[in-house]
Amino acid sequence: MTNKQRYQQTFSVLHASESSLLEVTKMKKATKRYIPRLAAVCAAVILVMGLATVAYAQDMGGIQRKIQLWIHGDQTDAILDIRGSEYSVTYQDGQGQSHEIGGGGVAFNPDGSERPLTEAEILEHLDAPDVVYRKDGTVWVYYRGQATEITDRFDEDGVCYVQINANDATLYLTVKYDNGYAYSPSGYIQPEEFN
Amino acid sequence: MKLSVDEVFRKYADRIFSAAFSICRNQADADDVVQDTLIRYYSLNKDFESETHLKAWLLRVAINRVKDISASFWHRNKVSWEDYMEELPFQEPEDSRLFQAVMGLPAKYRAVIHLHYYEDYPVQDIARILGLPQGTVKSQLSRGRTLLKNSLQEEWDDDE
Repeated sequence: MTNKQRYQQTFSVLHASESSLLEVTKMKKATKRYIPRLAAVCAAVILVMGLATVAYAQDMGGIQRKIQLWIHGDQTDAILDIRGSEYSVTYQDGQGQSHEIGGGGVAFNPDGSERPLTEAEILEHLDAPDVVYRKDGTVWVYYRGQATEITDRFDEDGVCYVQINANDATLYLTVKYDNGYAYSPSGYIQPEEFN
Repeated sequence: MKLSVDEVFRKYADRIFSAAFSICRNQADADDVVQDTLIRYYSLNKDFESETHLKAWLLRVAINRVKDISASFWHRNKVSWEDYMEELPFQEPEDSRLFQAVMGLPAKYRAVIHLHYYEDYPVQDIARILGLPQGTVKSQLSRGRTLLKNSLQEEWDDDE
């Protein structure tokens, strides 16, 4: 047996979990905003760093809560429904049309075990900046009540750095054109540090 | 050409998982990488020239993702690869020893070794997937082979 054959036989015992497909299947079923499992962990990290959650919750019994949510610069009432490691948020836009966004995620305990995201962590994620590519070709950053156009601010590598000042914090947002974004309260995350 | 996400999963999920695991050495992280890569594929809605092109793209996205994860602090407290490999149904004892030897290599060698020996990529393609100069890939491949040979002795041929 050659080295390659031996190597291929050895590593052929590794198999991906079927659960890896589930989140994508869920995404296909509805237009939802999704928290990747690791992004969820990032949200937890930011909480540890002390960034305040601005969305507030009013107990409606059980695991369903009424919250206020910023959607593309407009604040609206919404219902947050948490079921295990998944959540959904339903709200009505200015035209009275109902929308649902949702997702799921886990965080890791210090011993490495997984746990569902807490309500505070989900709210923190929902309060995160959002980058929107409009049909007219412009690119906008939304954060709470702020809307900033960044269409012409990308450098030759397609990267844009945006400092967002809010009442209680400054966020440093790094946007890769049509290729994701990352933010931190302590400084700009380098483009090569995220996918 | 474009495959459905289900087709991509059936054809490539194990390859993505295997490449990811060979670098991060953690099952949960590797599954996250598979999930993130599928989501990226679905979100991008991109047409590929061929399945070869698609496979290279998937591996590049997966490896970039696993690098992010490997550099993160929460990576530290996880189930060890030694514990995980106890569950793996290796066909022969030599397979288990090779697995251990590969997992014992530095991460930069594991990536190159895996793409060469498992995916059968030449240096040029590995360089493109990893975003490294070909000379760097050559030297990492050579160094990785030497370390495997030192570790496995007669169970690993000189194939340079």
